[in-house]
Amino acid sequence: MSVVKMEKLFKYYHLGKLEVPALKDINLSFVEGDFVSIAGPSGSGKTTLLNLIGCLDKPSKGKISIGNEDVSHFNSNQLADIRNYNIGFIFQTFNLIPVLTAYENVEFPLIIQGEVDKKVMREKVMNILKEMDIVDLWDRKPNEISGGQQQRVAIARALIKRPKVILADEPTANLDSHIGEEILKLMYKMNQKHKVTFIFSTHDPMVMHYAARLVKLHDGEVVSDEKKH
Amino acid sequence: MLYFSLAFRNIFRNFRRTFFTFLAIAFGLAVLIVMDSMLQGIDQDSFKKIINYETGHIKIFYKGYEKEKDDFPLDKSIPNPEQIMREIRKLDEVKGVTSRVNFRIMLSDGVDQLPAIGVAISPQDDEKVFLLKDAVDKGSFFEGDEEGILLGEGLAEDFEVEVGDYLTILTRTRYETYQAMDYRIKGLLKTEDPQIDWLAVVIPLNIAQDALDMEGAVTEIDIRLKDPSKVEEFRQKLSEQIKGVEVLTWKDLAQDVLAISKSKYSFSIMIFCAIVLIALIGISNTILMAAFERTREIGVLAAMGMKRRKIVMMFVMEGAMIGFLGSVVGCLLGSFLAFLTIKYGIDYSFMMRDIGNIGYRSTGIFYGMWRPGMILTAFIFGVVVSALVSIYPAFIASRMEPTDALKKV
Repeated sequence: MSVVKMEKLFKYYHLGKLEVPALKDINLSFVEGDFVSIAGPSGSGKTTLLNLIGCLDKPSKGKISIGNEDVSHFNSNQLADIRNYNIGFIFQTFNLIPVLTAYENVEFPLIIQGEVDKKVMREKVMNILKEMDIVDLWDRKPNEISGGQQQRVAIARALIKRPKVILADEPTANLDSHIGEEILKLMYKMNQKHKVTFIFSTHDPMVMHYAARLVKLHDGEVVSDEKKH
Repeated sequence: MLYFSLAFRNIFRNFRRTFFTFLAIAFGLAVLIVMDSMLQGIDQDSFKKIINYETGHIKIFYKGYEKEKDDFPLDKSIPNPEQIMREIRKLDEVKGVTSRVNFRIMLSDGVDQLPAIGVAISPQDDEKVFLLKDAVDKGSFFEGDEEGILLGEGLAEDFEVEVGDYLTILTRTRYETYQAMDYRIKGLLKTEDPQIDWLAVVIPLNIAQDALDMEGAVTEIDIRLKDPSKVEEFRQKLSEQIKGVEVLTWKDLAQDVLAISKSKYSFSIMIFCAIVLIALIGISNTILMAAFERTREIGVLAAMGMKRRKIVMMFVMEGAMIGFLGSVVGCLLGSFLAFLTIKYGIDYSFMMRDIGNIGYRSTGIFYGMWRPGMILTAFIFGVVVSALVSIYPAFIASRMEPTDALKKV
């Protein structure tokens, strides 16, 4: 079953009176457990595509569904609900909340969901921190841990709510290659274990190498969609 | 709880900015509390002195006297005070009744002359209504029908006289004939009411009545009530019971102070508004800057599914917290300063005599007054308004599109 389905999807941006196409006629579908890399040069539309899948932006034309729901015409509150329950984000610059500890950063999405049972939250957070191998760092703030450790916290934060899909915008770009590879392996492990769909945007050949499916974009169009394994 | 904790931690991210904002609120509220304490204290002190030394709770004049009272019209005197006082004494509400004759005088030591007010009192009855007896600072109060005067300390200073010295009272009788009387100063009065200390020459009633040809008449009857809160009802009752007289409450007679009090309040409200405005612009600005600094973070929160109203709530909570901390410190500081003004007062005596009688019944030290209701109001005001002024910047923060917010570095 499709986790994300895009049909005849277009996105235009307006520069003054000029309409600039960012995505043109995208027809893609991702299923549960996909480990996808979206590659392409700068300006090819990777981030725009990720934003649309992530319900951070709305398409200009066409249809996009998350699970069974067509979200193309959802309002901002409905989109927030979709993000809240179905989508996790991992950013290039980690984007952890600097005043919160690792534990609290991971706990935060559950609080946004309205979870109030402290015991349940504690169990979930500690389990995921263990899986990420950062349980010892639970009380550290982002500025007290390394970039790789911060990205582990960010992955834990994205995974904690068991989303249908996790979107990662250049997740290894701010890490050295060794740590980047570790993070990719970790994400792959989580993908296999939890059957969560991972979609990356990247320039990095190593990320493309790890991806099970590689979608290439050029000038806002899909130029190839290749299943590697 | 994490929202609360997050807001609390966020306000200390830029400590200096938060500190100065918080300081502005604390200072604003402290000034408000002290100012209110002082203004209320001065009012209440003035009212107390007016009641204790000038008017009692209720004053009865002969019909038409009140209108001309500044001219001390002796021809508009109450001719049968004893009869009226007897009736009044029978009433349960009454604690004490006395009568007085007020008359205009020139006071002279043989070299200089100063205008003053003669206050003729009945020594036995006066203390049942007024506190003049307790205000004798030097010398002694009247005992029996002896001749002599009690002089306000300000007047004594002006003439450079002491207890035992003589002064001449120049006045006109009820029939407008001139009268001059020499009296020995029996005591000096220190009431801190400028109407008494700077202007009054107190003389026994029977002596004044003889000298002024009053034939037993008085210019006023003064009443102290057991329950001061019933003053208006009692005035009504007396007005219906006694004909041919004017019955006035102390409030009717303290219009000068009440008028100053009102105008002073509008002025102080302006000052207060200016202070509060500065503090509130500070908060609003702080929240707005925090929102712009944390644009990317807002994007992350939105990406995680946080709804706009929650983002608004988070920033409003930060504003309310700065307001709360500022209000706590402002109320504590204000209460401490108010305590100092209540206990020690602020001494303006070095300049009060030069300024002259400004209407307040104080000759120098102004005392504050405890106003817990005002402190609580200031506190709630500080927190609520801080939260309210944070809504606009919070709203701006919440309107950022997550995609735009995430682009910001």
